[in-house]
Amino acid sequence: MTVVLLGLLPQGLNVYQQHVMIVSLFYVMMAASWNLLAGYTGQVSFAHAAFAGIGAYTSGILAVKLGLSPWLGIPLGVLCAALVGFGVGLLCLKMGGIYLSLTTLGVSEIFHIIINNEYEITRGTMGLQIPGLLTEYSKTGYYYIMLMAAIISLAVIYLMIHSNLGLNFRAVQNDEKAASSLGVDVIRIRVLAFTVSSALAGLAGGVYGHYLLLITPEIPSLDQQFLVLSMTIIGGMGSFLGPIIGAFTLEILSEYIRSYGEYHVLAFGLVALTMARFAPNGVVGLARAGWAKISAP
Amino acid sequence: MFPLALTNGLVIGIIYALAALGVSLVVGIMNVVNFAHGELYILAGYFSYLFADTLGMHYLAAMLAAVGLVFLLGMVIEVLLIRKTYGNDLYSLILTFILSIVLQNAYLLIFGPYPNKPPNWLKGATNVFGLFYYGNQRLAACGAGLVVIAIVYLMLKKTWFGRMLRATSQDREVAELNGVNTTALNMLSFGFGCALAAAAGVILSPIFPVTPTGGVAVALTAFVVVVLGGMGSFWGCVVGGLVIGLVENFGAAYISSGYRHVFGFIILIVVLLVRPAGLFGNREL
Repeated sequence: MTVVLLGLLPQGLNVYQQHVMIVSLFYVMMAASWNLLAGYTGQVSFAHAAFAGIGAYTSGILAVKLGLSPWLGIPLGVLCAALVGFGVGLLCLKMGGIYLSLTTLGVSEIFHIIINNEYEITRGTMGLQIPGLLTEYSKTGYYYIMLMAAIISLAVIYLMIHSNLGLNFRAVQNDEKAASSLGVDVIRIRVLAFTVSSALAGLAGGVYGHYLLLITPEIPSLDQQFLVLSMTIIGGMGSFLGPIIGAFTLEILSEYIRSYGEYHVLAFGLVALTMARFAPNGVVGLARAGWAKISAP
Repeated sequence: MFPLALTNGLVIGIIYALAALGVSLVVGIMNVVNFAHGELYILAGYFSYLFADTLGMHYLAAMLAAVGLVFLLGMVIEVLLIRKTYGNDLYSLILTFILSIVLQNAYLLIFGPYPNKPPNWLKGATNVFGLFYYGNQRLAACGAGLVVIAIVYLMLKKTWFGRMLRATSQDREVAELNGVNTTALNMLSFGFGCALAAAAGVILSPIFPVTPTGGVAVALTAFVVVVLGGMGSFWGCVVGGLVIGLVENFGAAYISSGYRHVFGFIILIVVLLVRPAGLFGNREL
């Protein structure tokens, strides 16, 4: 039903509201796929925004330099993000925990430096102008494309966490040694989660880039990473609905407070900090606790 | 080019080691990675700038006051944020990551986007072995870095506090059984780690002016050094700092200066492939 509602939604919205919805859907994809990694397997990656950047830049550069259609470019971008994600996952499989987080931070930084330095190819901080997905630009069209991409991503994530694999994910997160003693291939689970999560970030970044028509190093930045992380934390890490709620809430909210100047990042930071400290399970966790209280006799 | 790259590498390497020491100590003792390390470094730079420039304090007094303030702030952060996360390494990482973005935006609001720089207290340059001229301020920073590193070493090895820190980092439970108040020790050691970030900040801010987002690069370098050397290892930190300093400066001199930091990461990844616990690390994480 939600899907039908979301499908009919653009009819009742003006162009600006449609734009906000499209950006929100991008963040839903980002937050949900980051949550698959961090919330379900306990691997906190700081390279998620960088993988979105890989998706966006792969497709964008192919379109600009070779004239390749974005409809082919985006799948190639997803493949590229998946391959790099697989590589990083393999590299980190010996480490885990804090080492993995710091290595992903390094990977993200390397990617950022490359984009800024290879001006000839990426136009550095100036940003690369890329063609759109539609011959005739229409917000409604992009809304449906973004919605489709978001539904695909969420479906992949939902199926993964509601299968045996999902149980394995949780086992790896809760007690790695116990999981491996019960025959769970910890390393394979980890690398798989990393690859899928990176591929989905690549998809989000690719579609988003071709919607914006201009890709800049802003997409793979740590600020972007922060937004994705805050959305997941505020919504509720480790739950399916959490990142979706967090992404919509924060993006719509940020549009409202944008008129008060550039305070919204600071405001989000403070909210996220408070949530992470006092309600680590986010809004979803709070709601569940509240519900349990009400329904208990 | 060779002697200059070598000197630069060694001088910057000592400074990297200093920046990483605070991170390493906190990881070794509390198993917490302080993502906001760079922002505390920046804060000390702003403080010393305010004290020396606006209030007209003597630069040495301004530096000490800045370090002292950040030390207190570090303890407050431990009590308010970190204390709840013990036993969950990743949560403290997430919390301090958010804290670092909050601080960056707060600096932007308070100090503006412009680089701030305390007054230069050492002008001129020294002729190094008749080969080239090297800025006195940099040489002094290297000297000050060595002094701070030596003080930390002596404190760890010779004082009662240092013994408690080492005992706790080796085995927290046994340390507690032997009467170490680990709650207080956590607070003190987190503050101490922040104070070391501040020490690096006040020493370096006359050379590398502070900007709201300047802490990111500092923290990244510190993390690379700590992971390369082995988390929580004192000598790993010093050797790691020197290795990264040399690799980056030789890479910048002979290959490409734009990719300076990438060379450090590549060395890190190569080392981790061979020794996942870092050069001097023997802890299992």
